[in-house]
Amino acid sequence: MPDIKVTPLGAGQDVGRSCILVSIGGKNIMLDCGMHMGYNDDRRFPDFSYITQNGRLTDYLDCVIISHFHLDHCGALPYMSEMVGYDGPIYMTHPTKAICPILLEDFRKITVDKKGETNFFTSQMIKDCMKKVVPLNLHQTVQVDDELEIKAYYAGHVLGAAMVQIKVGSESVVYTGDYNMTPDRHLGAAWIDKCRPDILITESTYATTIRDSKRCRERDFLKKVHESIERGGKVLIPVFALGRAQELCILLETFWERMNLKAPIYFSTGLTEKANHYYKLFITWTNQKIRKTFVQRNMFEFKHIKAFDRSYADNPGPMVVFATPGMLHAGQSLQIFKKWAGNEKNMVIMPGYCVQGTVGHKILNGQKKLEMEGRATLEVKLQVEYMSFSAHADAKGIMQLIRMAEPHNILLVHGEAKKMAFLKDKIEQEFNISCYMPANGETTTVTTNPSVPVDISLNLLKREMALGGPLPDPKRPRTMHGTLIMKDNSLRLVSPEQALKELGLSEHQLRFTCRVHLQDPHSDTDTLSRIYSHLKSVLKGYAVQHLPDSTVMVESIVLKVSSSAEEPDLKVVLLSWCFQDEELGSFLSTLLKKGLPSAL
Amino acid sequence: MDISSDEADDWFMESLHIYRDLHVFQLEHPTKVIEWTGEKSICVADYSSARNEILELLLPLKLYAGGNKGLCPERDFKLQHGGFCDEPVECLRHIFGKRCVVTSGQYSSKLQVWDIGEGDSDIIKRTGVINPKCPSDKGRKIASGVTDGASVLHGSRINDVQQTELVSGRVLYAVGTDSLDAVSGLQFVNSSTFVVCANNGTLYVGDTRDPRMKHYVLHGSMSGSHWVFALRKDQPHSDPAACTVARLSSFGQVLVSDLRNLCSPVRQAQLNLQQNMATCDFLNVTWAPVLDSCLAVSGFDGKVHIFDTTSWSTVSQTPQPVFVHRGHDLSHEAKTDGTLLVVTTHVWHPWRPRTLLSAASDGSIHVWDWVDKNFEHF
Repeated sequence: MPDIKVTPLGAGQDVGRSCILVSIGGKNIMLDCGMHMGYNDDRRFPDFSYITQNGRLTDYLDCVIISHFHLDHCGALPYMSEMVGYDGPIYMTHPTKAICPILLEDFRKITVDKKGETNFFTSQMIKDCMKKVVPLNLHQTVQVDDELEIKAYYAGHVLGAAMVQIKVGSESVVYTGDYNMTPDRHLGAAWIDKCRPDILITESTYATTIRDSKRCRERDFLKKVHESIERGGKVLIPVFALGRAQELCILLETFWERMNLKAPIYFSTGLTEKANHYYKLFITWTNQKIRKTFVQRNMFEFKHIKAFDRSYADNPGPMVVFATPGMLHAGQSLQIFKKWAGNEKNMVIMPGYCVQGTVGHKILNGQKKLEMEGRATLEVKLQVEYMSFSAHADAKGIMQLIRMAEPHNILLVHGEAKKMAFLKDKIEQEFNISCYMPANGETTTVTTNPSVPVDISLNLLKREMALGGPLPDPKRPRTMHGTLIMKDNSLRLVSPEQALKELGLSEHQLRFTCRVHLQDPHSDTDTLSRIYSHLKSVLKGYAVQHLPDSTVMVESIVLKVSSSAEEPDLKVVLLSWCFQDEELGSFLSTLLKKGLPSAL
Repeated sequence: MDISSDEADDWFMESLHIYRDLHVFQLEHPTKVIEWTGEKSICVADYSSARNEILELLLPLKLYAGGNKGLCPERDFKLQHGGFCDEPVECLRHIFGKRCVVTSGQYSSKLQVWDIGEGDSDIIKRTGVINPKCPSDKGRKIASGVTDGASVLHGSRINDVQQTELVSGRVLYAVGTDSLDAVSGLQFVNSSTFVVCANNGTLYVGDTRDPRMKHYVLHGSMSGSHWVFALRKDQPHSDPAACTVARLSSFGQVLVSDLRNLCSPVRQAQLNLQQNMATCDFLNVTWAPVLDSCLAVSGFDGKVHIFDTTSWSTVSQTPQPVFVHRGHDLSHEAKTDGTLLVVTTHVWHPWRPRTLLSAASDGSIHVWDWVDKNFEHF
């Protein structure tokens, strides 16, 4: 039976890294190649030995697809392509292609330079890896090869995040990566058409949550900033790039206006440079509405937000500063942090996840004393706030996505099956589809029922229609005779005669002959007549004929009666039929073997 | 949500000062029950859809992070257990001391017993059915027994109130009165004493050792009033002397009485609340478990109103609420079918003084911790 195989790489209940293998129509695709951020050793890389034990992956994979730039989805990519070895195409959207290498380089610097680790990819490897990337546009079908095609859909979540449809023939799989169904201020909600994939693969991580509204998260942010400003404190907000940062700026600007606040808000110059760079990405990536309300704002059109200068950090009084980088691991945000950390009136708001080894990660774990360069200790007295702004789908979101795409099956990765039995029941009951929950390292095989489109010759179609009977009904398939010709890439259904003609063959005729012995005291001619009457009464609706040349014909079956001089009562009935009448012929011989009724 | 709605924006801005904490969630289907099943978990259930779900939700961890609140980013409800009920859920009660709830539904008079389940599976399984031993209306009211032997007190009319042991299904007690008054609520005061409130405001006090009940007719109730009640106890097995009963009518009348003397209320008030719903189904009054003399009222409209009864007297006046939660009205996506939004139920947090949970007919569920202006305490 045709099937699709899905294997999430990793082990046991391991959550925190995405790397999924799909085998469909003879093609092998790797979906995401994430790093596990919780491990410091080789366990952080996916285990590629499942694909092959012998080194390079190029021959075993048709393509790799990356859904978005978060490290738990792309962090292991340079390791896979340059250290394990893969030379095939790597697909991702344009923004992902632009942002990935920056995050990977940052990550590499932290891990190697700061933590002094070996067995990690180098800067050159990141560059070489990105050379293999083929960028994707939304809703554009890309032919990976003759048979495999992929298409990216808008996923929301972060800039450049995509859901991907993979199609071979009439079998398809949709992988969601991370997505969200409620629009953000700058990102919009995920969208997909009723593509009806055989399998929809999605994360189970958030399937059992009910998300607090975005408004309440924003409220918390504003409340914290306001509290700090009111008591004369300074607020540092380390951010990565455009998008979230701009959204928070607009929020603060509106708030400042409403509350008539005077404290200055600054946006560091490092961010401005990056902003111009990513500005272009945004234009093509976001939709019309968001472009109007959000993207067209120039960074410096804010009334209350000004460009930052290093010297301002020493100014007295309250202020808010947005600075890069986002995890406080280097640069301007770290410099400002060092200056402000000692004052409990101040605050740092971390808007997202921080990699191990960074100052951000340490303070989010409650560390109050940090060791800086040159053995200097930094006391962390300022207030640390961890706010999660990333947009994820929740239990309701998954149901909405299923309603949109109408998959035949759904597969949830990274979850514990026992803890998700209710969700499975809910999905199966509401949509009447199967829900799979493989453990990491476990392969799920989903049987598909692909339809194979075939061209039918006009003659054959007419012939079938001419047979009369009810109109064609897809629920009641009717048997027809035809010949399937598979030539080049086409499939044609033609009548057997036409097929033979095209192939230059002549049809063989097959005739069966059998003899039935009957005890009958009549003459041969009379016996034949009796046989004729018997058959006529039994085979109503068939053409039974008694011909002048002493044969009886039933359809194309010929019957003759003869006997020998020695035994005139032992009649030999000769039956002869061609292959097409095999069934009727067998029936007749069985019937006659029972003898003739005496009443004739 | 309509981001450009001015009133909604105003409220969110105001919320920075009037709430310490605020969480706004959207369930797939509205609930009219919120029941605590543990220190940090609640049960909710559908009353309006074809496939009625019962969900046990874990409250956002951020609320419990104490001093480390800043470092905890978890703001979401976590779905811990779920199950399917064959009818819309009218009443849901957690059984004291057990991982078990009992529900009544809108299609029948039976009660269903559910096992919430422990760590291993996340399914809420039905483990039994209780059929009342006499004809009964649909949607019976339920109260949990307060002793170790799991039991429920339930009824739809005063004459069919009975106590059933869960495991055996045995009827432990049945009232011996033939009053046909409809039951609007019931509750145990201690292991044998219980109070029943009828729709017309009459209170019945009974003891499971005696089928006779004392009843206290309400005088001065406006005709057509529908009454609900709330009992305030100091501990689970308290002396009846230390109990206060509040009764609320669909016309906004509130009577506060001492359980020792139910004939004359010690305080009363006429709340300035207009009911905009045709049904009295969602009328709800509750006592704050920590704050003295505070009660919360909902079911009239899309708000929850909190009153401090300390200053009330025996002469009915119209008090101002100390707080009004308008969140459901102001974060509500306007429905095109013209149905009015109403708060379907609310509960107080067991030990956080000013934290409440409220649900509304649009499926929203809020967790909020309001600021007492007189307190100025952050």
